[in-house]
Amino acid sequence: MTSPTNSQIKEMAILAGTERIALRITDLCVQYATGTLALSNVSLTLRQGEFVAVVGPSGCGKSSMLRVAAGLLAASQGSATRSTEHVGFVFQDPTLLPWRTVRGNVELSGELRGTRRAERKAKAAEAIGKVGLSDVAGQRPGTLSGGMRMRVSLARTLASQPELMLLDEPFAAVDEITRGRLCDDLQRLFVADKFAALFVTHSIAEAVFLASRVLVLSDRPGRLIGEVPVPLPYPRSPQVRFTSEFTELTAQVSTLLTDGEKPLRAKKKKARETAA
Amino acid sequence: MKSRLAAILPPLAVLTAAIGIWYLASNVLISEDRRFLLPSPDAVVQIAFLDPANLSELLAGLALSAQVAMVGLGLAIVIGLALAILMSQARWLERSLFPYAVVLQTIPILALVPLFGYWFGFGFESRVLTCVLIALFPIVANTLFGLRSVDRSLHDLFTLHSAGRLTRLFKLQLPAALPAIFTGLRISAGASVIGAIVGDFFFQQGPSGIGQLIYVYPRRLESEMLFGAVILASLFGLAVFWLFGVLSRRVTAWHESQQRPESPPLPANV
Repeated sequence: MTSPTNSQIKEMAILAGTERIALRITDLCVQYATGTLALSNVSLTLRQGEFVAVVGPSGCGKSSMLRVAAGLLAASQGSATRSTEHVGFVFQDPTLLPWRTVRGNVELSGELRGTRRAERKAKAAEAIGKVGLSDVAGQRPGTLSGGMRMRVSLARTLASQPELMLLDEPFAAVDEITRGRLCDDLQRLFVADKFAALFVTHSIAEAVFLASRVLVLSDRPGRLIGEVPVPLPYPRSPQVRFTSEFTELTAQVSTLLTDGEKPLRAKKKKARETAA
Repeated sequence: MKSRLAAILPPLAVLTAAIGIWYLASNVLISEDRRFLLPSPDAVVQIAFLDPANLSELLAGLALSAQVAMVGLGLAIVIGLALAILMSQARWLERSLFPYAVVLQTIPILALVPLFGYWFGFGFESRVLTCVLIALFPIVANTLFGLRSVDRSLHDLFTLHSAGRLTRLFKLQLPAALPAIFTGLRISAGASVIGAIVGDFFFQQGPSGIGQLIYVYPRRLESEMLFGAVILASLFGLAVFWLFGVLSRRVTAWHESQQRPESPPLPANV
C-alpha cells in the first residue's frame, strides 16, 4: 500500500474536522447576462491560513469567481460557501474615497460595520502602521502615488481583521518595481495575520512568490486545468525569486497555461480547416 | 503673490482697454446731441453712482432683485436636490419624473410668466417662482448625473459591508456627486439672477426691481442710469458666480478638477 500524499493527508484532516475551511467553491458556473459562459464547473477548497493563487488568461472568469465568493455576484450554478463573515476584498483599483484622508478611508470598513469610534480609530492606526503609511495618514489619496494608494486599500481591508482575503489582481495597475514591493508587503502581512487568501492574478511570478498552491484556469469558459503546489517555506525572502526552484515552479505553471490553450487552438484550427 | 498678479492682470488690462474704447467712442465718434446712445463712462459714474439719490434708487432695485434671485435659488436647490435624490433611488421614479423636469426646461419661461401673474399676483411670489423654474433643471440634471456616476467598485465596497440605502447615499453618493452638484449650482445661480431680472421685466407692477428699472430708463432716455443699472446687475451676477466658485473649490478640493499639476504631464510613451 502506498503512503498518502500531502494533499491526501490535508483532505483527510478536513474530513476529520481538524482543519478549518475558509471557503469552499463547488461546481461553480457563471454565465453573464449576455449569455457568455465565463466559468464552468470550478471547485476548490481554501483552508484557514492558506494562500491560494489563481492564474489564467484574460476573460477566463477569475474575477467572476472572486465576486461570487465575496457575495457580489450570484452563481449561475453551484455554490460558494464561506465559513466566516470577516471577509476582506481588495479590488483591482485602490477604490478609495477621494474626499477622505488615508485615515478616513481605512476607518471606513469599521464605520460601515458599526464598530465603536475608539476601536475603529485604533484598528485603523494599526493597519496604517502595518503598511508603512503613518506619516501620510492625514493626506488625501489624490496626493499619493499609485503604490501608496494600493497600500491604503490593503490597510483598509486589514483594519477589518478579515479571516478570508479575496484579492482581485490588486497589483495589476502599478509598475514592476512597486509591484515587487507590494508583493513583499502582502506576504509579510499574510505571515503576520494568518488569514486565508484567494489571490487572482495575471502574473505567474507573483502567484508562485505568494501562494502555497497555484491553481490554473483554462481559457473561457474557465475550468480548473491544473494545480501546482509551492513548497517554499514562509516567510519567503524577495531573493527566492532568483532560485532555480522558483524558476522551475513558474515554468510548471507556465506549461500548464500553454497546454491549456493547446486543445483550444487545435479546435480552432480544425474549425478553420473544416470551414475552408 | 506672483501667480495672483498673473491672474488679475490680464482681465484688468482687457477692462481698461474696453473702458478706453468706450470713452473714445462716446466722446469722439458720437456727436453731443446723440450721446444718449452711448453715454461716456465718466458721465455714467457721475450720474448713476455718485448721485446719492440715483444710487440709492439703483441699490434698492438691486436689493429687491437679489432677494428674489436668492430665495428662488434657495428653493430650487432644496427642491432640485430632493427630486434628484428621489430619482436616484429607483429607476421607475426617474422614468416617471425626469421627462417632466425636461418639459419644464423646454417650455419657454416667458410663456409661463403671464400665467404666474394670473395665479399668484404680480408680487414677490410670482417672481420667486420664475427663478425657481429657471434654476431647477440644471440642479436636478447635474445632481442626478453625479449620484448615478459613482464608480461601480465603490458601490461594491459598500455592498461588501452590507451598507444600507441611506449610508450609501450619505457616505458615498452625495459626497461623490458634489463636483457635479456644484456645476449645476453655478449654472443655476447665474440663471436665477437672470430669472429675477426677466421676472421684473414682465411683472411691471409692485415694487421696482433692477429689471424694472432697466425697462423704464430707456423710455425716459436716461441712458446713464440704464448703463448704471446694467453694470450693477452684471456685477451682482459675477459676485454670485464667484461665490459659488469659491464654495465649490472649498468643498471639492479633493476633486481632480481642483488639482494643480506640479509639472506638465509627460508624453504618453516616455
